[in-house]
Amino acid sequence: MSATTFGWLCLACPLVGTLVIAALYPKLASLPSQTAGWIATGAIFLAFLAALGALIKLQGLSPSHRETTSSLWSYAVTAGVNARMSILVDPLSVFMILVVSGVSTLIHLYSISYMDRDRGFGRYFSYLNFFVFSMLLLVLAGNFLLLIVGWAFVGAASYLLISFWYRRTTATRAGIKAFVINVVGDVGLVLGTFFIFNHTHTLEFLATFHAAPHVFSKGSGAITAGCILLLVGAFAKSAQIPLHTWLPDAMEGPTPVSSLIHAATMVTAGVYLIARMHPLFELAPAAQDTGAIVGALTLFIAGTIGLVATDIKRVIAYSTMSQIGYMIMGVSVGAYAAGLFHLMTHAFFKALLFMAAGSLIGAMGGEQSLNRMGGFRKAMPFTYASFLIGGLALSGIPPFSGFFSKDEILLVTVERGGWHWALYVIGYIGALFTALYTFRMIFRAFHGEPVTEARELMAGHQHHVDVPTNPATGEEEDTEVGFPGPAHTIAENAWPMRIAMGMLALGAIGLGLLQIPRTDFVIDHFLAPTFAGASGYTIHEHTAKLALGLSLGTLVGLAGIALAYRIWVLRPGTSAAAQSRLGLLYALFSNKWYFDEMIDGLIVRPAAAAGRFASSTFERVVIDATIVGGATALVGAGSTAVRALQNGLLRYYAALLAVGVAAVGLYFLVQS
Amino acid sequence: MSGLASIAHAPALLLATLKGPHVDFAGLSPLLALLGGAVVVLVAGLVCGPGGRASYSDSASDPAAARPSPGAAVPGLLALVALGAALGMTIWQWNAQKSIVSGALRIDGLALVLNVILIAGGACAVLLAWRSHAARGAAQGEMYALMLTSIGGMSLLSSAQNTIILFLGLELLSIPLYVLCAIERSSERSLESGLKYLIIGSLGSATLLYGLALVYGVTGATDFSAIASAIASRGLSNDTMLLGGIALCLAGLCFKASVAPFHQWTPDVYEGAPTPITAFMAVATKVAALGVMLRFFDVALIDVQSVWAPALAVLATVTIIVGNVGALGQASLKRMLAYSSVAQAGYMVAGVVVSTQLGVRATVFYLAAYLFMNMAAFSVVLARERETSLGDSLEALSGLAREKPLLAWPMTIAMLALAGIPATVGFIGKFYLIDAAASNGYTWLGVVIVVGSMISLGYYLPVIAAMWMREVPAISAGTWPLSALTRRGGGGAGGSLPAIAGGSPELDEPAGADQPAAGEGSGDAAPAGADASSRANPEVVFVALLAGAATLFFGIIPGPLFDLVHSAGSGLGLF
Repeated sequence: MSATTFGWLCLACPLVGTLVIAALYPKLASLPSQTAGWIATGAIFLAFLAALGALIKLQGLSPSHRETTSSLWSYAVTAGVNARMSILVDPLSVFMILVVSGVSTLIHLYSISYMDRDRGFGRYFSYLNFFVFSMLLLVLAGNFLLLIVGWAFVGAASYLLISFWYRRTTATRAGIKAFVINVVGDVGLVLGTFFIFNHTHTLEFLATFHAAPHVFSKGSGAITAGCILLLVGAFAKSAQIPLHTWLPDAMEGPTPVSSLIHAATMVTAGVYLIARMHPLFELAPAAQDTGAIVGALTLFIAGTIGLVATDIKRVIAYSTMSQIGYMIMGVSVGAYAAGLFHLMTHAFFKALLFMAAGSLIGAMGGEQSLNRMGGFRKAMPFTYASFLIGGLALSGIPPFSGFFSKDEILLVTVERGGWHWALYVIGYIGALFTALYTFRMIFRAFHGEPVTEARELMAGHQHHVDVPTNPATGEEEDTEVGFPGPAHTIAENAWPMRIAMGMLALGAIGLGLLQIPRTDFVIDHFLAPTFAGASGYTIHEHTAKLALGLSLGTLVGLAGIALAYRIWVLRPGTSAAAQSRLGLLYALFSNKWYFDEMIDGLIVRPAAAAGRFASSTFERVVIDATIVGGATALVGAGSTAVRALQNGLLRYYAALLAVGVAAVGLYFLVQS
Repeated sequence: MSGLASIAHAPALLLATLKGPHVDFAGLSPLLALLGGAVVVLVAGLVCGPGGRASYSDSASDPAAARPSPGAAVPGLLALVALGAALGMTIWQWNAQKSIVSGALRIDGLALVLNVILIAGGACAVLLAWRSHAARGAAQGEMYALMLTSIGGMSLLSSAQNTIILFLGLELLSIPLYVLCAIERSSERSLESGLKYLIIGSLGSATLLYGLALVYGVTGATDFSAIASAIASRGLSNDTMLLGGIALCLAGLCFKASVAPFHQWTPDVYEGAPTPITAFMAVATKVAALGVMLRFFDVALIDVQSVWAPALAVLATVTIIVGNVGALGQASLKRMLAYSSVAQAGYMVAGVVVSTQLGVRATVFYLAAYLFMNMAAFSVVLARERETSLGDSLEALSGLAREKPLLAWPMTIAMLALAGIPATVGFIGKFYLIDAAASNGYTWLGVVIVVGSMISLGYYLPVIAAMWMREVPAISAGTWPLSALTRRGGGGAGGSLPAIAGGSPELDEPAGADQPAAGEGSGDAAPAGADASSRANPEVVFVALLAGAATLFFGIIPGPLFDLVHSAGSGLGLF
């Protein structure tokens, strides 16, 4: 079997999984309770095996032949458009499917326990499998058409899973918000594709990349516009400023969903897009600069918000935004391998952090506020260890994986020279924030005086709330269908969760070793065939700056941890004092830099006002009365007329036939 | 003029008579299979039937009489065998490019592809008619024999190469159809529909014949290519008599394809005729009529294209508007589908208007798509007609999704396809037609097609809504344990449930949640009535599923269908 066959298999497994679960749906109640979960997990695991198969087959080819495409059939071949069902299997896509299917397998496994008591268990897994299928389609797509399909599908899957508890108003609102912003991104992607297609006349990736240097001159308007529109798609999907506001709200979904979609895989699609389109972006330096600046801004701003947010899932969500900021910055300055390497390590440690947070939330009986947590270290040793490993990797402390990947991005950034120095500095400030907010979570949730829930757990009894409430609003709610299930599960009592978290922890510790500076360059060498034509793709053997950067990164990370220790452990009053002294700044951060208000004020309100105005004047008069009213009335009248002619009387029919013949005859006679 | 032409032809004719007729039986074989089959079926019906016509009142009221006798299936089986044989012969001739019977018939890609579509439609219709009252009332053999004869006429028409064959084929197609419409002698509506069709049809045929006569009078030729060369060589494109003849031919052919304003018979006849016959007429007549339009206009009259194309484009527009607007608000499904078929004819005429190879391909593609979509829709209507007392009203489909998903899915797919929703064959067909229209200067016609499709959602979507969102009408209520859920859920949320994000309480509580054993129990109990009646009509459900599946399959993988119509387009060999 060739690499592409494995690619198709990889794509088929989750699709079959979701269809099987859907087909079994009416019968699920009579099957053992976790059937759907195991089917789903098995399907994704098979996809992972297929991805491994693709990897092995691809490595068997010579480096210059590692970009293989396969077309299953042509969807439509008409004048000008050749839309084929084709996938592109090259090192980049294999890299992505390995990460996606690998992390997904573990998160599915985790979900089996985590969602065990939820009434929507079967629906959950069919959605989750559908998501994985969509994501794999996105990364395996061999042409723009399939890319757009995958892109839209992951948006839909994300919507379905954010609003999974569909009777929680906050969840449905968050789902709608995410969907709307993602559609903005979809529009950007489609328009960008059109800009490019209009010049290259092909939808296939390889042909586009081949043609691009010939039809676009570097920095020309068309390619810049096209790439900026693609960036809009990437920003919306990857929650970059100013299209980021949906991601924190998306935490309304079940925690494994946050872990899989809103941390490890879907939100990194923007990074993948820029890396995949690198031959185009290299022709549009302005778009590259835009990407780098927006990435740097996001990593900084999200970091500051992470410092003050109190909902544990939202802190991790802001951290995700911030880390994706690094990746976007990386791939925008040409640090493709470094950006993707960070994508991979981040997928592991961030999924791990979310899972540990999920376990913690379980122990709190659904409560998510850091203000209510404390002292869980002894009560939940496994969760604590996992969270700590994830936190250390996120903070970039050697030898954890985050240490190796982040500094490489910053190194390539600074090597671009010029104003990229500013990005370099912002990157290290962001690293300080990262360590600070990560260990703020750890110290507040796991250290200090144990709260009631922690003491109960130490006594061997998991806390259980009598009246479940919505953690976002405090409203009382049901545990019925459409709400979270009645009981929560923690990693300490569920082996599938422990296995999943253990595997991810191993990844978070060890994956950095794939690319140790001065020693090995596994990722660089592996991805080299995809980025063969990229100008900035050099393998950084050894530079003084690298050593400097690595030690600087370590120092900054340790400084952040020390600072956090000082603020939240040694002198617990410090943060309150700082809040009152830096009131304005605190208000700015805790109100998320007023982005929601800004969008509300700049777009939503004016649009709503314009809409009201339009509806009261323009629409009522012009649209409703004239156009819609007119059109409906016309259609209605036409319908009546047509039916009136249809009176069933033969002589009328014959007469009408004669009239018709006369009319047609008249026309022809006039023509002669 | 004509005298000159016949003198020119005389030696050739003389030669042919002297040598004795050479008949290319291979080329004629599909036609022979169909017409021969008709004779065999007729005889078999006499031999195996219940001995003469069963009185329809008997068969309708007395269940014992309704039970088919052992030999009753023979004519139907023989009809299927004849169709199979014709299909085999067609495939045997597949790459043929020849004129047979002294140039009267043309066996080429177009004729063969249309043959395949016709035979497929005919086979579906035979299956749908399998258990109909009509078939039982009419002494078994007659109905199938008439169908085979009609298909023979259509096949003849689609390979017609001169005006004589054109008219012959048209009559061979029409006369059996007049009888078929009236074959359910117990039903007044059926008789009325037959009579209406006969009278209006005669008017249409007369118009066409007059037109053909005028064309012959001017060009002195009956052969299509001879007509074309006469027009070209003698500069007749402004000749009054020729243009008058074309106008009459256009009207006559438009009548058969139910193009407005010659469509008035369509809703009445479709509604009144027995449903299997309606399905057959809707699909097969359209195939034959559009096939011959492609040949006559795009071959014989290609040099006056600049005159007839605008007229036909206007007729297409009128048809699309009248069909779509007329279908709105129809309570009878068959009437709605009749208007819908008028609209679809309008779309397909667009492919004839552009008179390019792309146009021919797009039209043929749409004809194939049209076969799948309409067969799926009509077979579901038929199944419901037999299962419920609601006839072909929209009510009959209410709650079908819950009661009988095997029928609801094909209908849903068919409706979406007819409306042109992506991932169905209807979308690709429309896309292809619009592409063809736009590529030859008729972009506005493409816009009309899109607007028509938009209006059409107004009557296709209510059908889907009825199936998926309405409750089963009391007469045939299923036993799905819904009421308990709604009551309890309503208590929890204090009112209506937000059915958002693809979730709904009913979905999250699969059958077993309330009744532990329901996974098995209700699975059998709920569609018990449903199962019984789909067991009673397995062939109808089979046709529905097959056509629905094809609609979806070729919507996702249109490649094979593209290949098929490719040969149709290049077969015409004149562009």
